[in-house]
Amino acid sequence: MEIHTELIYHYPWLPSLNSVLSSISSQDPLEFIKKTFETYPFLEIRERLLRLFRAAFENLEQIIEYQADKLNVHCYLILKILLYILDNRAITNRIANLYSKIAYNELINEGDAYIYDIFMDLNLDIKYYNIPIQYGINITKDQEEILQTNFRIYVFDYLKLTASLRDEYRRLVNNSLSDGYVFIQKRNLIRLLQEYVRQKLIIKQEEDKATLDNFKNEILKLEKFKEIYDIISSEWSLKEEEFEYTFEMDFKSGKELSGSYPPCVKSTLKKAQEGQNLTHTERLYIVWFLNSLNYPEDKIVNIFSTLPDFNREKTTYQVRYAKKKGYIPYSCQSLKSYNLCMAKKYKDELCLEGYFSRKYDAQREIKHPLSYVRIKQYRTSHKQKNSDKQIN
Amino acid sequence: MTDYTYLKRLFQAYYKKIKPNIPVVNSFEQREFGFIPWDKHIMIRHLSFKTSEYLLKDLIQTGHRHVYSSGSLYLQPDNSDMNKKQYIGCDLIIDIDVDHFYTPCKDNHDRWYCKECGESGNGMPSKCPKCKKTKFNTLNWICDDCLKTAKQEIIKLVYEFLIPDFGIRESDIKVAFSGHRGYHLKVENEKIRKLTSEARREIVDYVTGENISFEILGLREVGTNIYGLTKRNMDWSQKIVTKIEDILNSYSDIQLERLLLKFGLKRHIITSFLNSKDEFIDTISKNRNLWIIPNFGIATWKSFLYGIVHEIGAEIDEPVTIDIHRLIRYPGSLHGATGFKVQELGLNELNSFNPLNENNEKLDPIVFKSKNLQKIEILEPFVPSTKIAGDVFGPFKKGDKIEVPHHIAVFLLCKGVAKTL
Ligand code: SF4
Ligand SMILES: [Zn+2]
Ligand SMILES: [Zn+2]
Repeated sequence: MEIHTELIYHYPWLPSLNSVLSSISSQDPLEFIKKTFETYPFLEIRERLLRLFRAAFENLEQIIEYQADKLNVHCYLILKILLYILDNRAITNRIANLYSKIAYNELINEGDAYIYDIFMDLNLDIKYYNIPIQYGINITKDQEEILQTNFRIYVFDYLKLTASLRDEYRRLVNNSLSDGYVFIQKRNLIRLLQEYVRQKLIIKQEEDKATLDNFKNEILKLEKFKEIYDIISSEWSLKEEEFEYTFEMDFKSGKELSGSYPPCVKSTLKKAQEGQNLTHTERLYIVWFLNSLNYPEDKIVNIFSTLPDFNREKTTYQVRYAKKKGYIPYSCQSLKSYNLCMAKKYKDELCLEGYFSRKYDAQREIKHPLSYVRIKQYRTSHKQKNSDKQIN
Repeated sequence: MTDYTYLKRLFQAYYKKIKPNIPVVNSFEQREFGFIPWDKHIMIRHLSFKTSEYLLKDLIQTGHRHVYSSGSLYLQPDNSDMNKKQYIGCDLIIDIDVDHFYTPCKDNHDRWYCKECGESGNGMPSKCPKCKKTKFNTLNWICDDCLKTAKQEIIKLVYEFLIPDFGIRESDIKVAFSGHRGYHLKVENEKIRKLTSEARREIVDYVTGENISFEILGLREVGTNIYGLTKRNMDWSQKIVTKIEDILNSYSDIQLERLLLKFGLKRHIITSFLNSKDEFIDTISKNRNLWIIPNFGIATWKSFLYGIVHEIGAEIDEPVTIDIHRLIRYPGSLHGATGFKVQELGLNELNSFNPLNENNEKLDPIVFKSKNLQKIEILEPFVPSTKIAGDVFGPFKKGDKIEVPHHIAVFLLCKGVAKTL
């Protein structure tokens, strides 16, 4: 089946790009960029790319204008080249999150027929029903809401697409499944496409740095391209400085605590900052941990704003609920069993060797991340007395 | 000659006799093989064979105690470096083994010895009743009832989950009797092969009901009312409500009480449930979801529903399905703890299959069957009775010198509870 060229202009991540527009997608990258700059106005290209990067740096969820023309395909391909040579996981994740959200916002306005075509193009098996099929009902009191949809998706394709989305609603066990197909609302189906797009943009970082440098040297000889690259790099380094302070936080008494976080917290926060997806366990842990330190709600919520499936309302509710329930963060033992303990990786002395307790007159091991914070705090405040290995 | 040498020769002779007829798993040359020999407690891994003839040739030479192949396919199955094996994909493997779940008859035939305090007893306790530790040595026995339960679980898995829900074709499903206390099931399908461990975890959750959310299915508390689930939702709700109906319509009050006690409900709550039973049946059969039973708060309903979910889900050994680098017993090979054959079965053969008393010779896992008697001496303090092909042998105790048919002798020797005389 031949897919409409307009669809490819609109969604350049579709696999058919390679067959329908093979003349562009198969070119040598250098040639391709040169040609693009010859064919299209430079200011326009620069504007479109910078708009994306700036929005991503600001953690926005949308850009003002998304044009679905042939140049859009060129920009997509240049974007991928830029990500490759920028070689920065945080940038890549942010762009991937933004770009996939843009895709979602575009797709949600598409008609069913196009959605179907897109899934076919991705070689994902879905079924379409002209007349919506009913798969359930929501009853409260006298109100009945019929659950129906025009779509079903093949269960193993569903699992492939949801593998990295871990919320309860998407778990197979909480969904309707029969004859190998999951009943799914259009909105949720498109949410799966969003995730597909995100994954597609998270290109692996080049392991061979020499190859990368060679390529980079070559391609940065193209002056116009270099101009764009330089602007992005310098704007990012300004942003990075800002991040340095993002996780500073106040303890009850107003003391700055982030320096006292144990490795397991630091590494999870870092993951979030880079826009990597967090597992359910990791999310709970961070919320409970920061709640225990009375970290302000909006700041906790903001930490999650970089995540691919962020939803402010839901997150706020969950943070507040956890606070109300007074959940205590996992112990080191549990964290170890979840593979979240980072003591070894960070070679953290306090975690690995423990501390000397005056009360017990013995070396004690760290059993809880909150005691880690307490001991770190104690040590900082007693530094002048040079008794930093003791606590009672 | 030690008994291990004796058993090894028997196994060698068996493999010689069946040559060249051993089942061939698909993509044979891309599978990793592993063996456990008689003389050492080690797994010899990272082997591969071009064809089944080479495998049989090896088995005739070695007579290995246990024979396994991988559920996964690799470009280089014999590379010992996991990263260089070049993983292609993995079949969906499901293992149902009575070792992993409770059956009441275990109180008669399974023995445990506490590693900590030396206490011993029958059954399958979760912790030692004396010292509360959880490390045991066990002597687990084969038993018709246990095997029937395991078979029932496989049938449930296939006909209540894999075929109707997952839409898996019968022809893609392969089942085998493990040669001891359970069954393996394998699904071969291109799209499944590519699934990650996390995706397999989702399948496990679906067929066991683990991680189910009753709130998402519709359970909620509005004011003092509790709204439950309805059959009109084509998710697990349907399974749950249908099961509740089945149970309420077929169980006596005494059976119900026993079940609810097992679910962890308190006696006065159970009484309340039994009193309101008829109205409750009426409510759910009419697809209404305002659930009213005095003393039932949301927490009680949840315990009740978890209990029901547990009744519906299949008892599978979860890690086997999630781990994509596992080795599983090779069909047609012998199980070194029983001397029985790992028997492949068609789905149509499953229902009538009776591993300990099979009439169809082609499917009979007891390959050493013979009327010839053999003398052996019992080494274990207590050996439960063994029922094979309708004949019962034992129970025996340490020092007993007995004369039993060859296949029973082989079984007791493989179990390590006897020696030849
Ligand atoms: S030892 Fe405890 S506090 Fe330290 S990294 Fe591990 S889990 Fe975190
Ligand atoms: Zn004990
Ligand atoms: Zn039994």
